[in-house]
Amino acid sequence: MDAGGSLRISHVGLRGVVGAALTAGHVLDFASAFGTFLEPGGAVVIGRDPRASGLMLREGVVAGLEACGRDVVDLGIVPTPVIQHAIRRLDAAGGVSIGASHNNAEWNALKFLGRQGTYLSTAEASELLDIYHLKKFDFVEWRRIGKLRLESGAIDSYLDELASVYDFTSLRSFRVVVDCCNGTSSLILRRVNERFGTEFILINEKIEGVRFAHEPSTTRDAVALQLAPLMKPLSADAGFLFDVDSDRVALAAEDGTPVSEELVLPMLADYLLPRGPGKLVITNLSSTALLEEVAARHGGRVVRVPVGRQAAIDALSGYRPEQIALAGEGTGAVMMPQFRFVYDGIASMLAILAMMREHGQSLGGILAAYPRYHILKGQVPLVTQRVPALLMELQERYRDGRANVVDGLRVDWPGRWFHVRVSQTEPIVRVICEQRGEPPRDLFEALMELVRSYA
Amino acid sequence: MPREHLLKIGVSGIRGVVGEFLTPSLACAFAQAFATYVGAGRVVVGRDTRASGEMLQHAVTCGLLAAGCEVVDVGILPTPTIQIYVGASHARGGIALTASHNPSEYNALKLFNPQGLFFNNYERSELLDLYHQSDFRRAVNAEMRRVSRDYETPPRLHIERVLRHVDVERIRRRRFRVALDAVNGAGSLVTSAFLRDTLGCELYAISVDPTKPFPRVAEPRPDTLGDLAELVRANACEIGIGQDPDGDRLAVADETGRVLDNDDVLALAVDVALRRLPGDVVVNLTTSAVIDDVASAHGRRVFRTPVGEANVVEMMRATKAAIGGEGSNGGIIFPAVHLCRDSYTGMAFLLDRMAETGESVSALAGRLPRFYRKLGTVAYGHGRLGSLMQALEEAFPDAQTDRSDGLKLLLPESWIHVRASNTEPLLRLAAEARTEAQVEELYGRVLRLFESE
Repeated sequence: MDAGGSLRISHVGLRGVVGAALTAGHVLDFASAFGTFLEPGGAVVIGRDPRASGLMLREGVVAGLEACGRDVVDLGIVPTPVIQHAIRRLDAAGGVSIGASHNNAEWNALKFLGRQGTYLSTAEASELLDIYHLKKFDFVEWRRIGKLRLESGAIDSYLDELASVYDFTSLRSFRVVVDCCNGTSSLILRRVNERFGTEFILINEKIEGVRFAHEPSTTRDAVALQLAPLMKPLSADAGFLFDVDSDRVALAAEDGTPVSEELVLPMLADYLLPRGPGKLVITNLSSTALLEEVAARHGGRVVRVPVGRQAAIDALSGYRPEQIALAGEGTGAVMMPQFRFVYDGIASMLAILAMMREHGQSLGGILAAYPRYHILKGQVPLVTQRVPALLMELQERYRDGRANVVDGLRVDWPGRWFHVRVSQTEPIVRVICEQRGEPPRDLFEALMELVRSYA
Repeated sequence: MPREHLLKIGVSGIRGVVGEFLTPSLACAFAQAFATYVGAGRVVVGRDTRASGEMLQHAVTCGLLAAGCEVVDVGILPTPTIQIYVGASHARGGIALTASHNPSEYNALKLFNPQGLFFNNYERSELLDLYHQSDFRRAVNAEMRRVSRDYETPPRLHIERVLRHVDVERIRRRRFRVALDAVNGAGSLVTSAFLRDTLGCELYAISVDPTKPFPRVAEPRPDTLGDLAELVRANACEIGIGQDPDGDRLAVADETGRVLDNDDVLALAVDVALRRLPGDVVVNLTTSAVIDDVASAHGRRVFRTPVGEANVVEMMRATKAAIGGEGSNGGIIFPAVHLCRDSYTGMAFLLDRMAETGESVSALAGRLPRFYRKLGTVAYGHGRLGSLMQALEEAFPDAQTDRSDGLKLLLPESWIHVRASNTEPLLRLAAEARTEAQVEELYGRVLRLFESE
């Protein structure tokens, strides 16, 4: 991908390859827009992942916010969920998370968080974007310019909250290996070991700004690189892989099998649905149909929305919090109501370990109880103007299935579905298709052939 | 109605009212241009105590990092201290966030080259071109450098340099009673420590809280230092020291609380410097002729330059001058310490001279040749500047003229200097003569001439 064309300015925030596309000017203008957008009163909490460019972005964010009269509380290098927790604890006006999550090291991004530490709704994000584009910022006079304060205890406060839900000391019996991918999860888990006497074995735990040990994505392929091969030699009970800002998690089973990233959400649904009042699972059109099966076992229901965090956030706002069991994606990003509906890989890991302990089962044992689904994923370069014709032809050809057109085209048959859509982050068309039992190779090949004919 | 210049981007850098005019984006972009100009390497960043300084420092640091520089944050320090550190630390350059003597709502970026000197005119115009082209160097993640902090070395280095040129023990033995008004500026802590701990003075200080706003007009002048005069009298101090927010300018009160004319302070410093070192003197066109008398008493020459620290510094470099400065601005430049305005050299010189001679400030000042000065401004209409200057020159056909900065007319016993302000449509007038009647006569005559034009 051409780094110069990598800039994305959207409802989710600002993202791009630093230097090539994302510049200091973007950062300052976005921070100034956010300072202008926020309601009066309260500081703004910020934190960053360890990318070397994070310091540049941080300086710009601090300047823009201070110029708008905002005091800034900087938590330093911390995962996004810790920032979200601190926003609520400090009754702050909002927050900014600096970090490009699962992207490679040369990327960076700004994510904007609202008063309760939640992601911005689409309406709020639209207003922020309008202010950004207008470039009319509410800079205050010299007397009212904000000040910066550093805070170091945020991780402990965050762990206090996790500890009120999960019994860390009971996890001492597990032998857990974690691939931190040089990201912020190592800060949290090192502290967990210190405080609670757990013996999580951390690999790639050195905080690194330039060269990550491997691509920081939470996929089965990334798990297979370094984590999965360690499971047997270390006699581990479970393996976890985090992306750089610890909002996503992927798994390795005790026998060294890398687990599909699609299985994190169904596992957590299986664990959480019977425990809480919430019966709804909110996910997107591209995640596994295993979810419907798991939900049905517990009297739950799956609500499918377009792909992307923003659609999930908007869907959440349509329900009372107690109606919802969890929300998430097939990427290992899961939100739980007891943790304020933020993607939190650490909380997901704790829930999975708690599930293993309560069920008295190994990770592999839990997974073996689920029916096998096979998901195939492909991508084809995008020719924007041909997408509508492509979707119409697909719908025509597969009219025997049940069609859903809220985000590209998804067609469902019993035990089988596909989803063809345009990516929001890259100029590609994504093709996903899944089948219960055997891999849907014929369907997948037919789809790819048709999509390629439009490229 | 004179126009107010709430933002000025020009060869002297960028200065303006913070918020609506001087925005963080502007400061960041200017820092990127600076970083592109000086190249990837270490850049020193410090500031005075203005409330907007912290915010602007973040914006500047953002711009420097984005262009691949490493940033050394030296925190709140006097401008000369920052300049000396830039030169000594082999940095690529430095940026000080300070609007010097301007009011609180202003701030500015002051830019230093690798020697810790203000950018000269060539460097400034090159930088300005880069800024306007907006084609900045952009570092990718792997090229990003860090921010380090050094709050201790710069003041130590500065003070060490100053002390090489005075007899510290001689000063300490006198246990001078000294009053200080640091305007809650960058000198608040450094100056207090310098006078009390290093020079062993009994210190009576006001406005030495760097977290508070400026309690008086920031420029240290006789009419703004009433509190300092009061402090001197109330505590029977032997000398009063007044600074501006970034500690480059020095004002001095004698033991009676009378605040000396800044030209006389410079003259006293020139006298001390010429007693110690060979070399000539450089001052701007508006500085008093008292400097000529002091220099000629030591058999030295005086070179005159257009107004502006950079001009004086350039000429000092060219002539290898022993000392120089800008009288009315309270600036003393002593190259053996550094080619910058340095209030600390001025303080040390005066105290050392007092210790050496056993004389009071008023006695030392009283021995200077007496001149009478008158300063003022006249508003002018656009397009009128040339004819005003022409009329002035024609009105004094016998005068020796200097047109290097506006027009200066040298008469046998007096002089008058008229120059256009480069920030407002104003003419700045300065006149001087050996008697009060003479200066009033000359100043009045020129004023009437301008009014009739």
